[in-house]
Amino acid sequence: MSEPDDTKLMERCNNGDRHAFELLLAKYEKPVFNAAYRMLNSPDDARDVTQTVFLKVYEHLDQYDPKYRFFSWIYRITLNESINWLKKTNRLDALVEDTADTAGGPEQEATNEQLSEGMQAALMTISPDYRAVIVLKHLLGCSYQEISEILEIPVKKVKSRLYTARQLLQETLIARGLH
Amino acid sequence: MTIDPKYFELIQADIDGEIDDAGKVDLENFLAESEEGRAVYEELETLCRSLDGLPTIDPPAHLRHVLLNQAPVRAAPQPAPDILQRLLSGPMLGYVGVFAAGVALTLALVDSDQISRGAFDDVTGLVGTIADPRFNAPEHGMISVDESEVAGTVTLRSTGPLLIVDFDLSARQPVEIVAGYSDRTIWFNGFAQLESTGTSIAAETGAVTLKMDGKRRYAVYLNNPGMRPTTINLKFRADERVIHEAQLSFSEGG
Repeated sequence: MSEPDDTKLMERCNNGDRHAFELLLAKYEKPVFNAAYRMLNSPDDARDVTQTVFLKVYEHLDQYDPKYRFFSWIYRITLNESINWLKKTNRLDALVEDTADTAGGPEQEATNEQLSEGMQAALMTISPDYRAVIVLKHLLGCSYQEISEILEIPVKKVKSRLYTARQLLQETLIARGLH
Repeated sequence: MTIDPKYFELIQADIDGEIDDAGKVDLENFLAESEEGRAVYEELETLCRSLDGLPTIDPPAHLRHVLLNQAPVRAAPQPAPDILQRLLSGPMLGYVGVFAAGVALTLALVDSDQISRGAFDDVTGLVGTIADPRFNAPEHGMISVDESEVAGTVTLRSTGPLLIVDFDLSARQPVEIVAGYSDRTIWFNGFAQLESTGTSIAAETGAVTLKMDGKRRYAVYLNNPGMRPTTINLKFRADERVIHEAQLSFSEGG
C-alpha cells in the first residue's frame, strides 16, 4: 500500500493532525457511505449514518486498539450504526412490503438497472444480519476472516450466514423473475 | 439425488476464492459427476456475480467538508511551540495556513479602500488579516447550502468588533456570493483563505462579493465598530441567477 498506513494515520489523528483525518476520510468515505446505503436503501439515511460514523471515529480515536485493523473497526461501526438507524426508524424487520416488483415478470428479460434495483430490493427483504454479511463480502470485498473480525463471530458462522443470505436472496429474485 | 451439505460449503468457498487445494480437488471430482451439483454451482456463481456488480454510488459532494467541519479540534500534545508553529496551529480553522505560502510572515490589516474599486482582484497575495493564535471566536450562526451548483456551510463568528464570515464551500461551477449588510458603519476588514488561489473578491460599502469555483475555505472579516446587532444577507448566484439565499445574524453576546 503506497498511502500511509491506517494505523499511522490514526496515530497522527490522535496527535491532533487533521490532515491525517482528512486522508482517512478520503479513503473510507465512499465505502462507508455505500455500505450504509446498501444497509438502509436510502442515500439520505446513508449520509446521516456516514456522518455519525466519522464523528464516532474521531471522538473515540483514543479507544482504537492498533492490534485490530482500522477497517474492521470503522466497518463495524458502520454496520452497527446502520442497524441502530433501522431500529430508530422502526425498519429493523425485513421490508417485504416496501419491495414492490421491479421487473416486468418472469418472461421479460431484466435490464441491468432492473437487476440492480431488484437486487437492492431483495437485500431489503432479508434481515440486517444477513444483509451485513452480503455487504461485507460483495460490496466491501472482505474475506471470511475479515468478516469474522468485523462482526465478531466465528468464521464457521460467517460461512453459514453467507450461505443462508444468498439462498434467501436467490429465492426472492427467482420469485420476481430476476434470476 | 441430494447433495452432501459439505459440497454446498465447498461450492461457496470456491466461488468466494476461499477454498484450499484438497477441497478444490474434492469439489472438482464431485462436479464432474454431478449435474445437480454443477447447476447449484452455476446458480450461486450467477448470484454472486450480480452482487459483485452492484454499482457503487458517490457520496454527496459536500459530505467530506461537512465531516471535516464536524470533527472537533483535538489538542495536539506538543512541545512549547515557536511563534510560527503557534500561528500555524491556531484554532481559527487553519486560515493562518495561508501565511505559509508567503516568504515573509506579514501581519497586515487590509483596508477596504484597497479593493473597493469595483474590479475583481485575485486575492492570492492578500494575506494577513487578524490571525491571532489565541483566537477563540464564538459562533453566532451557521447556514448550510445544498444546491447542485454549490454545497457546504457558512458560519458567522465574532471577536470583539470583528465579524468573521467563514465560508466552507464546494462548487461544481463558478459561483458568485454576495454578502450584503445594511449597517453602513460596518466595513470590510480583510480576507483569508486556506487555499492560496481560486477566489476573487471585491468590496464596497454594504457588500462584499466573492467569486469561486471548486473546493474553497475562506473567511471574510468585517469590522463592526459599534458591535451592533446586524444581519448579513448571503446571495449565491450561478449562471446569472440566484440559486440560494440565506441570512446570518450577529447580536452581542451571541
